[in-house]
Amino acid sequence: MEREEIFTRLNNVFRDVFDDDSITVNDNTTADDIEDWDSLEHINLIVAIEQEFGLKFNMHDVTTFKNVGEMVNVISNYLNK
Amino acid sequence: MLLTSFSFWLFLAITLIIYFIVPKKMQWVILLISSLVFLFYDNFHLSTVLQALFILLITYIGSQKIYEYQGTKKSKVYLLLSTLTILGLLVYLKYSNLFLVIFNHFCNLVHINHHFGMVYHNTLVGISYFSLIMISYLLDIYHGAHKPQKNIFKLALFMSYFPILTTGPFIRYENVNDELYDKHKFNYHNLCMGLLRIAWGLFKVLVISQRIAIFVDGVYGNYMQFNGFYIVLAAMFFVIQLYTNFSGSIDIIMGVSEIMGITLPENFQAPFFSKTITEFWRRWHITLGTFLKDYIFYPLMKSDFMQGLNRKAQKFLSKKQAKKIPLYFSMLIMWILIGIWHGGAFTYIIGSGLLQFIFIFLEDILTPVSQKINKRLGINTETFGYKLYQVIRTFMLFSFAMIFFRANSLKEAFGIIQNIFVWNPWILLDNTSLYLVGLDMLDFRVLIIALIVLFGVDYLSLKMNVREKLFAQNIVFRWTVIYLLLFAIIIFGCYGEGFNPATFIYRQF
Repeated sequence: MEREEIFTRLNNVFRDVFDDDSITVNDNTTADDIEDWDSLEHINLIVAIEQEFGLKFNMHDVTTFKNVGEMVNVISNYLNK
Repeated sequence: MLLTSFSFWLFLAITLIIYFIVPKKMQWVILLISSLVFLFYDNFHLSTVLQALFILLITYIGSQKIYEYQGTKKSKVYLLLSTLTILGLLVYLKYSNLFLVIFNHFCNLVHINHHFGMVYHNTLVGISYFSLIMISYLLDIYHGAHKPQKNIFKLALFMSYFPILTTGPFIRYENVNDELYDKHKFNYHNLCMGLLRIAWGLFKVLVISQRIAIFVDGVYGNYMQFNGFYIVLAAMFFVIQLYTNFSGSIDIIMGVSEIMGITLPENFQAPFFSKTITEFWRRWHITLGTFLKDYIFYPLMKSDFMQGLNRKAQKFLSKKQAKKIPLYFSMLIMWILIGIWHGGAFTYIIGSGLLQFIFIFLEDILTPVSQKINKRLGINTETFGYKLYQVIRTFMLFSFAMIFFRANSLKEAFGIIQNIFVWNPWILLDNTSLYLVGLDMLDFRVLIIALIVLFGVDYLSLKMNVREKLFAQNIVFRWTVIYLLLFAIIIFGCYGEGFNPATFIYRQF
C-alpha cells in the first residue's frame, strides 16, 4: 500500500477518533497539534488504527511514535511484510 | 544507607574520586562495586545475596532466550516464565502480609477460628524498584526495543545502580545504557550543576520536610486531641512533607548521577501547580506513571477483553460514551495497582489508589457539566482567580486522600476525618495554639520563608532551567544565592537525634 493511501485512511481514523472533521495529518503532525490527543486518547487512536488496517502494533511501537510520519512508516512495514 | 547520612556522603566522595581517577573503561566497574556495597551495606545476609543473584540470573537467562526465539511462541513462554518468577518473588517478599490480612478477614467472616500471624522477610533495599526495572527490561526485549546485554556484570550494574535504589526514578535500559557504561571525563560544569541540585534536594529534605514532619507527627500521633484546622493543616503539611522528602531525595540522586555524567529521567514537574488531579499525576512520580501506562494501562486497553467491552457498551451507549467504559475499567485496575505498589495496606490502596481514581473519574464526567454551568453563569475560567481556585482545589483533594496514606489504619483515618468537622480557624491567628504541636514561632517563620522559596523555584522551573539561569548570572549574585542556600541547610536543617534524620518516607516502597 502506498504512503498516500495510508495517509488518506489514517486521516479518516483521526477524524473519527477525535470527532473533528477539520483534522488533516501529515508526516510532522504530533500530539501537540491535536487538542484532544493525550495519553488516554492515544491508546484509543492506536486501537482504531489497528482495526482500520487489520494489524497489531507491538507495545514498543505504541509508546515510541514521535509523529504521524513514524506511525505511517510502521504501518507500511506491517502491510508490506 | 540513608541519603542524608554521613556514611552516604563519605561513600559517595570515595566513589566519585575513584570513578574519575581509574582508567575510563573501568568506570562502570567502579559503579558496579559501589552499587553492590550500597545494596548490601545495611543488609548483608545469605538470603539477600541469593535474592539479588536469583533476580539477576532469571533476567539474564530470560532475556537471552526471549531474544533467541524472538517472533516465536517460545519467546512468549520465556517472557512469561521470567517475568512471573520475578513478580512472584516480589509479591512473596513484599506482599505476603496483605494476603494474610485478607485471609484472616475472610476466616472471620465465615467464622473459622484460624488466624495467621504476620510474617517478616529479610528483603533487599530497592527490591521493588529493581524487580520492576528488570521486568520492563525483559518486556522491552520481547517487543524488540533493544538487544539483551551480553555481559552479566553490566546487567548487574543496570539492576543495582546505587543512586536509584532507595527512591527511584524508574529507568529504562534503552534510555540509560549508553551513559551507564560509557567513559565519562570529569566535567567542572557537571560537578557544579550536580552539587547545586544536591544542595537543593538537601534544602527540601532537611529544612522543609524534616521540620514540617514534627507538626505532622504531632497531630497524627495524637489525633484524638486535635480537631478542625489542626487536622486540615496537618493533612496539607503531610503532602508538602511527602513532596519535599521524595522530590528532595530524587534531586540528590539526580545530582549525584549528573556529576558522573549520567542523566536520569525527571520524576516531578512542579505538581502543586496542577489544576486537576489528572494533571497532578502527570507531574508527580512521573516515571512510575509512565511505567504503569506503558506496561499495564496500554496493554490492558489494547486487550481483546477491553475491546470486547467497548463493543458491548456500544449497544447501549453512544460511541463516545462506550469508549469510556474500558478506559474507566483499566484505570481502576491501574489505580488499585498503584495503591498496592505504595505498600499493600488498605490505607494505601484507598489513599493513593481508589480515591485518586474516584477524583479522576469525577473530573472526567463532571468537566462537561461544569463547563456548561460556567458558561451559563458567565464565569471566565481564564482568569488568575479561577486558576488559583483550581490549583487550591487539587491540592486540597490530594491532601484529603493522603490522610488515608498517612494514617496507620482505616479506623484511624476515619477517626481523623471525623475530627475535622470542628470550626476553629482562630488557632491559625492567635499567637499560641499552633506552637503547641512541636514547632515554635521561629520554626514557623523558617518554614513559611522556605515554602515561598520552594514554590517560587517550582514555578520558575516550569518556565526555565533554573540552575542554568543561575549559572548565567554574574558572579556576585550567583554566589550569594549559593551561599544563602548552603547556610540555610546548615543553620536551619533539622538533623534529628544523633544527626540521623528520620527515615525517608518513600524508602519503604
